[in-house]
Amino acid sequence: MEFPTDSNLIVGLKNADDAGVYRITKDLAIIQTLDFFTPVVDDPYMFGQIAAANALSDVYAMGGVPKTAMNIVCFPSKQMDLSILRRILEGGLVKMKEAGVVLVGGHSVDDKELKYGLSVTGFVHPDHILVKKNLMPGDSLILTKPLGTGIINTAIKGGLASVETIESVTALMAELNKTAAEVINKYQVHACTDITGFGLIGHLAEMVTGSGYGIEIISDKLPIIQEAMEFANMGLVPAGAYRNRNFRESMTNISPSVNRAVQDILFDPQTSGGLLICVESSQADSLLLELKEKGMNSAAIIGTVSPDVDDIIIVN
Amino acid sequence: MIKEIDARGLSCPEPVLQTKNIVEKEHAERIRVIVDNEAARQNVTRFLESKHFEVSTKQADKAFYLTGKIDKDMADSEIIKIKEQENPCTKKIMIMVAGNRMGHGDDELGAKLMIAFLKTLKEIGPELWRLVFVNAGVKLTISDSESLPVLKDLEKDGIHILVCGTCLAHLNILDKKEVGETTNMLDIVTAMQLADKVINI
Repeated sequence: MEFPTDSNLIVGLKNADDAGVYRITKDLAIIQTLDFFTPVVDDPYMFGQIAAANALSDVYAMGGVPKTAMNIVCFPSKQMDLSILRRILEGGLVKMKEAGVVLVGGHSVDDKELKYGLSVTGFVHPDHILVKKNLMPGDSLILTKPLGTGIINTAIKGGLASVETIESVTALMAELNKTAAEVINKYQVHACTDITGFGLIGHLAEMVTGSGYGIEIISDKLPIIQEAMEFANMGLVPAGAYRNRNFRESMTNISPSVNRAVQDILFDPQTSGGLLICVESSQADSLLLELKEKGMNSAAIIGTVSPDVDDIIIVN
Repeated sequence: MIKEIDARGLSCPEPVLQTKNIVEKEHAERIRVIVDNEAARQNVTRFLESKHFEVSTKQADKAFYLTGKIDKDMADSEIIKIKEQENPCTKKIMIMVAGNRMGHGDDELGAKLMIAFLKTLKEIGPELWRLVFVNAGVKLTISDSESLPVLKDLEKDGIHILVCGTCLAHLNILDKKEVGETTNMLDIVTAMQLADKVINI
């Protein structure tokens, strides 16, 4: 397909980045993104928070600050009480307030299946956009949230997750990437993305494709939600993880010694995952320390950008 | 007899849940699960293997026929392993005692209640993990305290007792402490974080 474009379009469909970026003046560009999905947890208020945090995340991943948002709602008004919708919207609003975002409107349609999300607009300086592919050899990769939410969500669907697990994973998914984005502004970060439906490997693959470099990941360093390992061993791996694996297997080289459950987690689709930050290696330790000080206890340096490989290599 | 589950047309995690149900509720030793997608094939295989089944797969008519037979030796050794683990206690309960009396009101009653409380604590069982004494609570751990024998018994049973050093020093009774380990605020905060449940008295 051919897409219309003009000289002010900085990041468009062709780049397949987290969001689109369009220059307004020489000092200001807008970031636009949209995301909505079906419920991942039963609690409508928490679902609203998670959907909003997930939609806002793309702006943070581009190095921007979200400013305005619009609600997107698909609601089965004949089967469900409107009070449920109200709780979802309240949950979304809480996250918008936390992000300093103004809700300017929205649109709802009657649908068989409930869906909620946001269309978000953010600001960024045109010279400070964080794209995915700007990797530099030797860079360190930092991940700010633990992996495994897709597997846990499958266990929740199956009624096998404990109340404690549901609560902690719900809180994790509802956590904004705002603080992480504020912290990385102070460091020499070359590239950034957020981990969502394609899983860690899918997003790594997008980073390396066309960048000229490869990435080596140390699987022992990966932050992983402990229960996700147990559920993966039980066979509660979502179909999306298998799809992600089939799609990206050809450009991934996983050492056979990497635990099978960890391999599943590498491809596990994440809901409202953390930021994947590519930073000048000499600054990686101090950036990690600051992320931890700001409450991101699971954040970890998970690998490096290598000029010697052009794929993704996973070792122990 | 072989149990059969037709999970065609079902998406994850449903095929695993149906298999789990049959394996756990009916203690099936032989089972056949029919699925029609790759994710379900791998997930059901994985589940059966985690329950010590040997799984063989046949593919026909766009479906996978997974046949599982329990590996007796493996399953038995697993049961022994579980039995060998003594008190596999999963929860850690920490009790924070911030005074030498229980509740407010009559001081004499409060002191009696505190002793009764400490005596009854062992009823919690193996989940009782740590007792932390702060502020006037540290008075319960010194030589002339009536609670001392109770606390010594708890310590003997393996309950970890921590006593706030700053509090002992402040009350000038540092050398009179007879039970537990003198500790600092960092240890106390770390203990709170490690505990699954913190009870404040």
